[in-house]
Amino acid sequence: MIAGLELDLSLPLRRFTLKVSWHSRQRFLGVFGHSGAGKTSLLEVLAGLRRAGSGRITAGGSAWLDTQRGVDLPPELRGIGYVPQDALLFPHKDVMGNVRFGARRASPDAPAPAVEKVMEVLELEPLRDQDTGSLSGGERQRVALARALCSAPRWLLLDEPLGGLDPPLRRRILPYLLRVREEFGIPTIHVSHDATEVQMLCDEVLVLEQGQALACGPPAEVLTRPDLLPLARAEGFENVLRGTVTSLADGSATVTLASSGVSPGILVPAAGLVQGRRVLVSLRAEDIILAGSAPAGLSAQNVLPATVRQLHDTDGAVALAAALAPGLPPVIATLTHQAVSQLRLGPGSDVFLIFKAQACRVTTS
Amino acid sequence: MGGVTSAVWVSLKVAAWATLVVFPLGVALGRVLARRSFPGRGAVETIIALPLVLPPTAVGYMLLVLLGRGGPLGEPALGFDLDLLFTWKGAALASGVMSLPLVARTARVAFEQVDPRLEAIGRTLGLKPWRVLTGITLPLARRGLLAAAVLGFSRALGEFGATVIVAGNIPGRTQTLALAIFSEIQAGRQDEATILLGITVVIAFAAIWTVEWLMRSGRVAV
Repeated sequence: MIAGLELDLSLPLRRFTLKVSWHSRQRFLGVFGHSGAGKTSLLEVLAGLRRAGSGRITAGGSAWLDTQRGVDLPPELRGIGYVPQDALLFPHKDVMGNVRFGARRASPDAPAPAVEKVMEVLELEPLRDQDTGSLSGGERQRVALARALCSAPRWLLLDEPLGGLDPPLRRRILPYLLRVREEFGIPTIHVSHDATEVQMLCDEVLVLEQGQALACGPPAEVLTRPDLLPLARAEGFENVLRGTVTSLADGSATVTLASSGVSPGILVPAAGLVQGRRVLVSLRAEDIILAGSAPAGLSAQNVLPATVRQLHDTDGAVALAAALAPGLPPVIATLTHQAVSQLRLGPGSDVFLIFKAQACRVTTS
Repeated sequence: MGGVTSAVWVSLKVAAWATLVVFPLGVALGRVLARRSFPGRGAVETIIALPLVLPPTAVGYMLLVLLGRGGPLGEPALGFDLDLLFTWKGAALASGVMSLPLVARTARVAFEQVDPRLEAIGRTLGLKPWRVLTGITLPLARRGLLAAAVLGFSRALGEFGATVIVAGNIPGRTQTLALAIFSEIQAGRQDEATILLGITVVIAFAAIWTVEWLMRSGRVAV
């Protein structure tokens, strides 16, 4: 499967005109922005469900839209698996009926993941004969995802797949999305207003605000950019660190962060982890304490030396970006103005980042 | 009692044929009116609604003019005889025309209740538009469509005014139950009229119960 998306679009919406130009060779793409930024409209144009004002879309080498040449491929020929925010399961079919409905398109030249395999990966087997009306929000999302996967899509289009779920449920469904990414590797365009989700699931993100593309690039770089942080931290920014479990002891695990230089290790709760497991550690910016010198007699288990790169005023607080090691994305911590002036923090200051193992949340696929 | 049996038979035959012809047409019209906007849409809606508001005898007279010797569908104009006037087929046509608005409107409501986004999902899953229609739209609208068929059948069964003008009131040939009740009352035969009344009530109940049974038994699941 060829990844790669070329997008040049102008789409008049009710309050503004969505203008996007985005060329990417990455396989897992994210579109990030607040609600009302134009994300869903963009995804609907990609799915062929909404007319674009003018523009061009080429996905994986095939032209989906070219208003100049009069090309507008209907949705059924774009080879997409579309998962809308509200799942939209067919009410006249049970769970298996919905999933099978997707499998109709699969043909020898477009082999779909086997239905049984999809059911297993998404843990839907126990629900196979259930009526869709009796499913919970998270289950509905998984069924919608399975239905899309079984239709042999060349692209997955996900519209806020975790959007309607409360935070604990969101954390339970996230691993399924990670697993789908790993198991099937289908190029994906993932629309989300959740910076954590985008950092975990996407390799490149486009930041959209009022129909304008503000930035695009690797999520860990783009979403931690000081000028974009206010967007990313609407609900409290979460740092997402990638690493591997290197040791387990006394109910805690050491996760060594993937880095080109010195690899810092952090202590996290060990629940369910095994050695060698690749994990994503999320850590809220508010949960990090800064110290100007190495502290002693602390219960917090993670004390990591870092260098301040940037400070950025947001309303009422300061967002600080600090580098743990070369090659690692910056870690964001939020502090008060008082703390910044007392510690005399500025770009280049050497500090210690302090956080409890319990403040780290570990996600595995 | 031969007259009663034939009236029942003529009624069922007329209403069944009227429904068979009008149902597909009404469903197609309902579908178009539910989802499409096109020039002349208002005119189509008005023409379909006319039989609801016009006196049935007026509609019957229009059909009579259309089908009569001087009309555009008469024998001289067509070169052959459609053989509809004063036959049971004419009665079926008249009652069909009278029930079309009900069928089309009920079907339209049934289609309007299908979430267009579910149809869109079908398209993204690779289904051609006609497969979306047969696999998603029709199954989701089936309850309303069934109701449309029953309403159409019932309306055709009770049709009087248009039928009597197009097909007359010929015992054994075009005399339906509705017409027979009228004839018996006119002739002062109350007992016969009461028997016919009883039969119509039984048929009406049977129609309603059939639908209920179809819906409950899961043959037509929710």
